[in-house]
Amino acid sequence: MNEEKKRKTKVLTKEAEGIQHLFARESASELSVVGQPLGRTDDLKKVTGKLAYGADYPQEGFLHGKILRSPFPHARIKSVKIEKALQLEGVAAVLTAKDVPGRNGFGAVIPDQPVICGDKVRFVGDGVALVAAQTEETAHQALSLIEVEYEPLPAIFDPREAIQPGAPLIHEKGNLLLHNKLRKGDVQKGFAEADVILERVYKVPFIEHGYIEPDITMAIPGDGALLVEGPMQAPFTVRRNVAAVLGIPISRVQVKSIPMGGGFGGKEDAPIDIGCRAAVLAARTGRPVRMALEREEVTLQTAKRHPHIMEIRIGAKRDGTLTALEGTIYNEQGAYASLGPLTPPAGGVNIHSLVMLPGPYEIPHCKVDAYLCYTNHPYGGAMRGFGAPQVCFAHESVIDELARELGINPIEIRRKNAFRLGSVTATGQVLDQSVGLRDTLEECARVFGWDRRYQRAGYIDKERTHRRGVGIGMGWYRTSFGTSGDGCGANVYVHEDGSVLLYTGITEMGQGSFTVLPQICAEELGVAIEDIRLVQPDTDRVPESGPTVGSRSTVLMGNAIIQAVQPIKKSILEMASTLLSIPVERLHAKNRLIYDRDHPEKAVPFRDVAAKCMASGKRLIGQGWWTPPPVSLDPETGQGNPYFVYSFSTQMAEVIVDVQTGEVNVTDYVAAFDIGKAVNPKTVEGQIEGGVAMGLGYALMEEIILKDGWIQNLNLQDFLIPTMADVPNIKPIILEVENKYGPYGAKGVGEMPNIPAAPAIVNAIAHACGGRVRSLPADPEKVYWAIQEAGGLPVPK
Amino acid sequence: MRGLPSETRLDMNDLGLTFHLNGEEVSVAVKPGTLLADLLRNVLGLKGTKVGCREGECGACTVLVDGEPVNSCLLPAMKVAGRSVTTIEGLQRGEELDLIQQAFMDEGAIQCGFCTPGMVLTTKALLDRNPDPDERQIREGLSGVLCRCTGYQKIVNAVQKASLARRSSV
Repeated sequence: MNEEKKRKTKVLTKEAEGIQHLFARESASELSVVGQPLGRTDDLKKVTGKLAYGADYPQEGFLHGKILRSPFPHARIKSVKIEKALQLEGVAAVLTAKDVPGRNGFGAVIPDQPVICGDKVRFVGDGVALVAAQTEETAHQALSLIEVEYEPLPAIFDPREAIQPGAPLIHEKGNLLLHNKLRKGDVQKGFAEADVILERVYKVPFIEHGYIEPDITMAIPGDGALLVEGPMQAPFTVRRNVAAVLGIPISRVQVKSIPMGGGFGGKEDAPIDIGCRAAVLAARTGRPVRMALEREEVTLQTAKRHPHIMEIRIGAKRDGTLTALEGTIYNEQGAYASLGPLTPPAGGVNIHSLVMLPGPYEIPHCKVDAYLCYTNHPYGGAMRGFGAPQVCFAHESVIDELARELGINPIEIRRKNAFRLGSVTATGQVLDQSVGLRDTLEECARVFGWDRRYQRAGYIDKERTHRRGVGIGMGWYRTSFGTSGDGCGANVYVHEDGSVLLYTGITEMGQGSFTVLPQICAEELGVAIEDIRLVQPDTDRVPESGPTVGSRSTVLMGNAIIQAVQPIKKSILEMASTLLSIPVERLHAKNRLIYDRDHPEKAVPFRDVAAKCMASGKRLIGQGWWTPPPVSLDPETGQGNPYFVYSFSTQMAEVIVDVQTGEVNVTDYVAAFDIGKAVNPKTVEGQIEGGVAMGLGYALMEEIILKDGWIQNLNLQDFLIPTMADVPNIKPIILEVENKYGPYGAKGVGEMPNIPAAPAIVNAIAHACGGRVRSLPADPEKVYWAIQEAGGLPVPK
Repeated sequence: MRGLPSETRLDMNDLGLTFHLNGEEVSVAVKPGTLLADLLRNVLGLKGTKVGCREGECGACTVLVDGEPVNSCLLPAMKVAGRSVTTIEGLQRGEELDLIQQAFMDEGAIQCGFCTPGMVLTTKALLDRNPDPDERQIREGLSGVLCRCTGYQKIVNAVQKASLARRSSV
């Protein structure tokens, strides 16, 4: 392969000075498993087609479950007649609202979505009845035989209208679900000090996760517990919802996460929905029930990315120093609460958007209001970035517009204001460790060639049909989700032959957790990764560990694993010390050996030591439980330390715009990250490349189109996600500015990549052709009209 | 009506279908209207071919019919009568992986794995037709298989590596 084409992955490691590491460990150069770009543990099964996903599981003996959905965005249910459906041969059950045995409500935070709607429906796709039948075909037929009489109600589709007095109520308690506030300093004073003030409005739409595997779940009644299994990111959330819906104790529900064909946050929500519904059918019939969604059903009923309308007012001095930022976010929740509302002190999409809107910049005076509004649309839930991609589009666009207004290079305005170690955020948090933002900016600029490319913007052909431009996006993102109950638990068992069982509640959706977590376990024990078998996440076998979201897995579960290994390691080292007659302090465990640091030839194999421990009753089991440092956020002022550490990224894009059609081609892309420590650099690159591609889709082509509450583009023919031909070569740069709370200094990386990508591209479009698009996606039509609005094309020299 | 129930009872409406599947001749009774993806998965038990959208957009269901990539979710099973079909299961020789499969693993081109069978087979069709494609040809050749996880970068690298390996091993 051409050497020039190979990406440069530069690893810059900074040891934080004077920081007491959480767990005593080797310096980076002594690690043998962590930090290695190992192949994934499940690759072989995937590449041979042997890995079983949910739809591949045996179906014999299962009933097939289906949902009858509302055709109205807002309506009262007057009657539901199921007799004809019940009479169809092969139908085992037809259930309505009264048949839900426990709580008729589910939800990740607030259980406000009916398992089966009884009195009213709130969006097209709301569930009105459930059917279980011998075949999918029969279940479909049964759905068509259920007669429902609706009384349509006035529907609300705009979040700003929804919170006006007199708007039709979607939920009894009102359409304003939450109003979060951030108040830092005095924005009036800040604006008074500004030489320039800009006011802009940015909008982003509903989009779909677009995981290639549609949702599916299986609910199986059993002795002592009902089992729910399927592809899912949040087995514990599913478990507590199923228990409440069935009206049984949590200990009588067992939930297993099975191989997932992608998640991106969507498989945090959807499995709660179909899990509860399949469970109700299974409990009622006493039979196993399989509920599989077709692609159109996934789009119709499952959670999406929250649309935001963001009004921003920003003030700066002539030299680009920011003085004040005022923002209002109308956050469209849709019909049900999902992950929008607050889990104190700083969990939930709305509060996260609030905190992140000012961007990774030092701004002395900030005022933000974020309104979370119900509408009669499908609902927003968790999607990669959780509010950050939305607000990053706003802050990176407006700072670019400000740069243009001031006549300053976009890189300079960011150099003027970007966070550094010791900076104070908009919530008043002092960033006292692990702030590699400026390193990402400089390194990205160097590798991308920002200065050179910035100068050469303009027409690329003498026919004057295509123009080239470049753009920057900068962002930051938390590790984990800022709630008080945040924690992860792991179990580790070592056996007499040196083989290891690892139990975690963290799931694998392609991000690489099933490789990275065993890497950490292997490093800690001093064994090879092949010696570790990670057991499929099962709520019966591990402590409640929260969902696999929020870029939290490597840090929280990694630390829990390190903790779990400590008592095992103590036994191993003490036994080895006895066997070798060498004090414990001189011993080191690596590559399946325990050896004297100073005389490595004095060694004993790990498995021999393990066997001796087992034979003499020395403990080889461990359980870890790790919770992050306490977080805080004042509910009135939004001041506090909402999240305990942040990752940072700068991304740069070059685009070519066809000025006759508005079509945009992204031709070059460099993305730099400070993620503390890359436990597996190859999987980190995978997250970077995938996240950037997702951001490219958000920038240029993705949009759930709604008309009168109906989704117009239910399948992939009309909801466009990037193909291989749409995405350029992406060059990832990994920088490591250690996090004192992270395993080996690591911070989260899963979501950071797709956050600054959309604004980097939209900024590049503006640089190329002067057209500023302020609502995503920047599809050809919008780009074309933006060029016209900017006064047409610049006259060439 | 979508797909077919997993239990298949022979009745007089069933059609007889004979074709070559992964190098072996197969004869099977098929209900009229059965799509190839469902025949492979539910009747013949080959679950490596995935179903993602059922409208020929995502490419997860790609199999090779006479060497050409086809969306098996759209193709009536009867259309493969007398023809040769290759699924992901047919690529390896015993324990030995195809060079393309090995390249995908070596380059880290697999994340959730759901698009992988479709990607690997489409790669084979591309390289069988064009043994040394440039990057543009790779990206366009594989644009019919969607991946949401990888951003495609390492898949491109894997195809380049496989192309080199195949040309070197002749």
